[in-house]
Amino acid sequence: MERISLGHGEGGELTHQLIHDVFIRSFDHGEQARLDAAIISSSSEQIAVSTDSYVVDPIFFPGGDIGKLAITGTVNDLAVTGAVPKVITAAFMIEEGFPIRDLKHIVKSMAQEAEKAEVKIIAGDTKVVERGSVDGIFITTTGIGAIEQSYLNPESMKKGDAVIINGTIGDHGIAILSARKQLGLMTNVTSDCASLNQLIQNILRRTKGIRAMRDLTRGGLATGLVELCEDFNSTMEIEEAALPIRDEVKGACEILGFDPVYLANEGKTVIIVDANEADLVLDILHKDEYGADACLIGHVTAVTEQTGKLKLKTPVNTTRRLSRLSGMVLPRIC
Amino acid sequence: MCGALNITVTGRVQGVGFRPFIFALADKYHLKGTAQNNLDGVIIHAEGDSGQLKNMIEEMQQSPPRLAKINQITVRETARKGYTDFTIISSDNKGNGIPWMPADAAICHDCKTEMDDPSNHRYQFPFINCTQCGPRYTIIRDVPYDRPYTTMKEFTMCPRCYEEYGDPKNRRHHAQPTCCPACGPVLALYDHNGSCLNINTQAKKMTLDFLKKGKIVALKGIGGYHLACDPFQPQTVARLRQLKRRPTRPLAVMMTSIDCAKQYCWITKQEEERLLSPEMPIVILQKKEGVAIPDVISPGLTTLGVMLPYTPLHHLLLDAELPCLVMTSANTSGLPICYKDDPVLDDLKNLADYVLTHNRPIHRPVDDSVVQCDGDETFFVRRGRGYMPEPLKTTGNVDQIIALGGDQKSAYAIGKHQHIYLSPHVGDVENEEMIHFLEDHIRHEQEWLHSESTCVAFDKHPLYETAKIAQTMLGEKISVQHHHAHHVSCMEDNALEEDCLGIILDGTGFGEDGHVWGFEFLYGNARSVTRLGHLTYTPLPGGDRAVKQPWRTAVGMLLHYWPEEGERIAAELFPDRRKEINVISQMVVNDINSPLAGTCGRLFDAVSAILGICSVSTYEGEAAMKLADGLGGTDFPDDDEKTYPYRITSNDHGYELDVSAMILAIIQEKCQGRSIQEISRRFHQTVVSCCVHMTLAIAAKRPELNRSVVLSGGSFQNNYLRKHLQRHLEKRDFQVYTHKQVPCHDGGLALGQMIIASAARQQ
Ligand SMILES: [Fe+3]
Ligand SMILES: [Mg+2]
Ligand SMILES: [Zn+2]
Ligand SMILES: [Zn+2]
Repeated sequence: MERISLGHGEGGELTHQLIHDVFIRSFDHGEQARLDAAIISSSSEQIAVSTDSYVVDPIFFPGGDIGKLAITGTVNDLAVTGAVPKVITAAFMIEEGFPIRDLKHIVKSMAQEAEKAEVKIIAGDTKVVERGSVDGIFITTTGIGAIEQSYLNPESMKKGDAVIINGTIGDHGIAILSARKQLGLMTNVTSDCASLNQLIQNILRRTKGIRAMRDLTRGGLATGLVELCEDFNSTMEIEEAALPIRDEVKGACEILGFDPVYLANEGKTVIIVDANEADLVLDILHKDEYGADACLIGHVTAVTEQTGKLKLKTPVNTTRRLSRLSGMVLPRIC
Repeated sequence: MCGALNITVTGRVQGVGFRPFIFALADKYHLKGTAQNNLDGVIIHAEGDSGQLKNMIEEMQQSPPRLAKINQITVRETARKGYTDFTIISSDNKGNGIPWMPADAAICHDCKTEMDDPSNHRYQFPFINCTQCGPRYTIIRDVPYDRPYTTMKEFTMCPRCYEEYGDPKNRRHHAQPTCCPACGPVLALYDHNGSCLNINTQAKKMTLDFLKKGKIVALKGIGGYHLACDPFQPQTVARLRQLKRRPTRPLAVMMTSIDCAKQYCWITKQEEERLLSPEMPIVILQKKEGVAIPDVISPGLTTLGVMLPYTPLHHLLLDAELPCLVMTSANTSGLPICYKDDPVLDDLKNLADYVLTHNRPIHRPVDDSVVQCDGDETFFVRRGRGYMPEPLKTTGNVDQIIALGGDQKSAYAIGKHQHIYLSPHVGDVENEEMIHFLEDHIRHEQEWLHSESTCVAFDKHPLYETAKIAQTMLGEKISVQHHHAHHVSCMEDNALEEDCLGIILDGTGFGEDGHVWGFEFLYGNARSVTRLGHLTYTPLPGGDRAVKQPWRTAVGMLLHYWPEEGERIAAELFPDRRKEINVISQMVVNDINSPLAGTCGRLFDAVSAILGICSVSTYEGEAAMKLADGLGGTDFPDDDEKTYPYRITSNDHGYELDVSAMILAIIQEKCQGRSIQEISRRFHQTVVSCCVHMTLAIAAKRPELNRSVVLSGGSFQNNYLRKHLQRHLEKRDFQVYTHKQVPCHDGGLALGQMIIASAARQQ
């Protein structure tokens, strides 16, 4: 099997070959590759820029791989700000000995996802590091999007606004865990990894009263909403019983002792919208492949001077205060 | 010979009828002068025959009013002023003392007699009270303790009551909540739609009828609402459990009299005293075998929580046909106790068929206290009604410190000069409702204590809600390690200040190394402790879920001790869980959501699960309680050979206790068919023996250490463990101290945190 060697990163002939064989072919940026930088033009006054690094174990998982993730993640980051993602750059950090076949596979799925999301991958960089310096492959992508019209209006967020999610939570988290074969979890859950930019643009164009959106990734629904609450001084209450969660995900959480509101997602966004427009938003979502399981999960209950809080109404009618994912595994119960 | 004395009496002497008592004594011994309350206590100026003065002081000491508790009587000779009579003069807010408030007290004998007497104008009056009994702490809005500052303010006394109130010879002299049918509150019965069905006597009659028919009635009590029902109607009890979402947790039963209680339970002298004391707590008693308290009340346990009727209303609702009532606080599991009136009817309609309420507001909610007796000692399981708000005196300066306790069985403490006000049991601070309840509670207490905290002590656990609340408070923040707080709590409870050993057997607490502690051998004082020994860490697969599902803890232990065969042994012990065990074994190997823990509570859980006693806990401590059930009362021959094997190893950090051999032996004996009771007993003996040997090893290596040992942590609610460990250590010349005024579990943490914060502040 062909593998990446340190020579692939030295900037010489091997590097040239690798770029040519693997990247240019897939990304189809023959023109830009000859220049030191990619040059793009934009008609919009405002542009959005986002960058993110992707490390995932395992690299290939049900529903996607690190390459697809590197596109969807950055595309979604741009999309929820109301931007139309246009171009993406990608930097690869590859461990010596990484199979070239896997690299090709990853690059191919990046290209596929970019095509589907209608973004161009316009520039890239590759470094090869010694064995053990990285775990297989790390990818950093930077995306640029055009803000053609500003639809989002977080300052107008008010009591009663609806909190909507485009589908089930925790799929990515559980898919990754079950893909780590050693867990022996028997689930068929696939990652929800998807680019939501077209869906989001569709909603933004066809509705009024969208206050804010946030894509949910690491830290899950709870962390995403807590950030929204804090950023816009609003308190939200979500209903545990209303949260869309697959039975397999529930079952896995039951065994592992995880809370689904903290599980990672890669194709989910929350949408805060004027209550009067909630049905319309849901309608649009339900017709889209990435919004079939969309539902209303709660409301904004107050907009205040101080930092907002996220509350979760439980089925037994108590209210949990949710914080960001703590990253600590510690029992609280005595 | 004639003389004049200035007598200052301190202690619990206000609002307990102390001045009328002095007035009566003055009358009896022909003394003249005055009696006055101030912040220090009661100040008496008495003049007359010297012998009679002496008599008065003697009687004051020997037979004070039942609610009084005298700390000190200071007598000073003074100049005669030539009084012609003895008078009670109004309160004076001078003095160096601390704000003071009396405790709620169960109905007294005299009032009970009056309410049973058809000729008395308070016959069957549900709000009868006097200086010796009635609501106090729960109805006081502010100090000084005077009617306008209580929730009785709204009720203007009728001339007759007013006369009694003003008459120093009357037992209702200055009884702030006094009232009668003409001027007092009104009892009203509502159905669950919120319609008023009837009031007063008729309401009571209908309620009695409903209870007998198997209905659930919410009753407004002293510190909040109770849900009441007939314990002998299993369907009703089942319905109550369902509504409260409390499937198996034991329920307390109120019994019409001590004689009635004796029919169902074994009652020692100490237990009888506690049942009849003015505090009238719930006392955990041993059920008599073969007597008909249905098992559904305290399923799987040989004990039962019993209390006697402590309000006049309770007496009216219990009769020969209905001698017992299940009485459980009116709230869904996990929510605060209902005590406010307006929203309460809404909340209660989901919990009860009817609501029997009245218009005397409850200002401060407080749960029933729960105690457990052993010989002539009494231990708090829950410190609440009747014991509130008596301050604990300390030697250090704790002024302006607030200690928030822990998240479970939460109770906080407020420091004022050299006094610590420990709050009543608040509950588990897990949700928004409980956080608000706690915050409100703190605000109330700080108001009347005029305390603005400048120093906040709280548990080190980074995920505790109380730790998050601390961050929102003003002032210096002092985080305290959980078991250090337990250690110092027990020291303070016994007025110890010097370094001592601590054996802290507990559920789960956040340790200094980031792991879960709870089987700790500490040495030190409020300033610092050193950890000299602990139990080997094993994983808790699923974190909190393992605490609720002891079988997981057991599996975690098996996998840790026997990486090769653990999974097979686990699957044999828990055949229904095979699929999960497979995953759990991977969780443990790959360190996924499996924090490491060495705690006594979890060790008990694991053994309880292995023995098949309890593999899933539906309430806190269930597995451990059921494992210990039936052992508490018995004495066993002192025989070390009857312990299971274990190992104590030493490393740089101290001693480590490895109980893997015991776990293996327990599994083998279970497979061989040895009785569960026998295994449980031997397990208990082993835990005691482990602790003794660990202590001896520490003392042998460090002979310079003090030989005082404090026992603290939730596991010491286990009577067997506490008693036998104490006995064994005392035999080996250790002085052993257990908790007295505060619970050994997390309900006592705030006391330790307070003292530690005070020490830290001085440094
Ligand atoms: Fe504890
Ligand atoms: Mg991102
Ligand atoms: Zn009385
Ligand atoms: Zn009256």
